[in-house]
Amino acid sequence: MDKSKMRARLASLSFSEKIKILEKLRERDRTIAASGLRKKTKPAGTDKTDRLAEG
Amino acid sequence: MLSPVLFDPQTLGSIAELVHNAYMGIKATIESINRMQADGIIGKYAIGGAVGATFYLEPAATLDVDVFVIVPTKAGGLLLSLSPIYDYLKAQGATIEDEHIVIGGWPVQFLPASDDLELEALAQAVATTIEDVGTWVMTAEHLAAIALRTGRSKDHNRILQFLEQGAVDRKKLSLIIDRHNLAGKWKQFEHRFLEGMHG
Repeated sequence: MDKSKMRARLASLSFSEKIKILEKLRERDRTIAASGLRKKTKPAGTDKTDRLAEG
Repeated sequence: MLSPVLFDPQTLGSIAELVHNAYMGIKATIESINRMQADGIIGKYAIGGAVGATFYLEPAATLDVDVFVIVPTKAGGLLLSLSPIYDYLKAQGATIEDEHIVIGGWPVQFLPASDDLELEALAQAVATTIEDVGTWVMTAEHLAAIALRTGRSKDHNRILQFLEQGAVDRKKLSLIIDRHNLAGKWKQFEHRFLEGMHG
C-alpha cells in the first residue's frame, strides 16, 4: 500500500481506533527513550518538535 | 514539503494489532476530566493539539494531551487560576510533571480559554466519543487557526496536513482567520509553504 493510501486509510478510522494507535506510538516513543538509543543519535535538549519530525 | 513520519508498520505491526494492543488509555484520562467537569471544577472543555488533530487526520506521535477549558472564576474575580484543577486531580492521585498533570498515564496540559478565538473554539467544539466515553474536540478549522497563531514548526506541519488531506473547510478557516486578526500570519504561512502548490 502506498503512503498516501495508508494515510487516507488511517485518517478514516474511528477516533477510538486512532487514539489507540496514538497510544501505541507513545509507548514506542517511551520504549526508545528508555533504551537510550535516542541519546546516541540526538543531542541533549532535543524537544518534542524534533522528535515528531523525526517520527 | 514538511511531513511528519507516521509510523513504520513493520516495527509496530498491523493497524489491527495497533488498535487492539494499546497498553493504557486516554479513555481513562477523559473519564477523569469528565468527572472533574461534573463536579463543577471546570466548565466546558475541548481537546486540542495533536490529539485533537487526530480526530481529523491520521495519528501522529505526541507526548501529551492539550485540553482547553473554561475555568470558573469566583464572583467578582478576574484571575484565571488552574489551582482548583490541580488540587482536585492531585487528590485523585494525579501527579505533576512540569506544566503537565499526569492523569491515567498521560501528561495533560490544561489551557484556560483566554481569548475570543479559544472561546469560540470551545463553543463550537464537536461532540464525540472515545470508546463509550463522551468528549469534545475542536473543529479542524479552529485547530488550524490556533496552530497558525502559535506558529511553531510542528504547528505549521499540522496546518499543512489539514490542507493536504482536505480536512479543513477553506472558507470556514478563512472566516476564522479574518475574524481573529490572523490574516497577516496566514499570508506569511502561504508565502512560506503554499506558493507554487496547486489547489
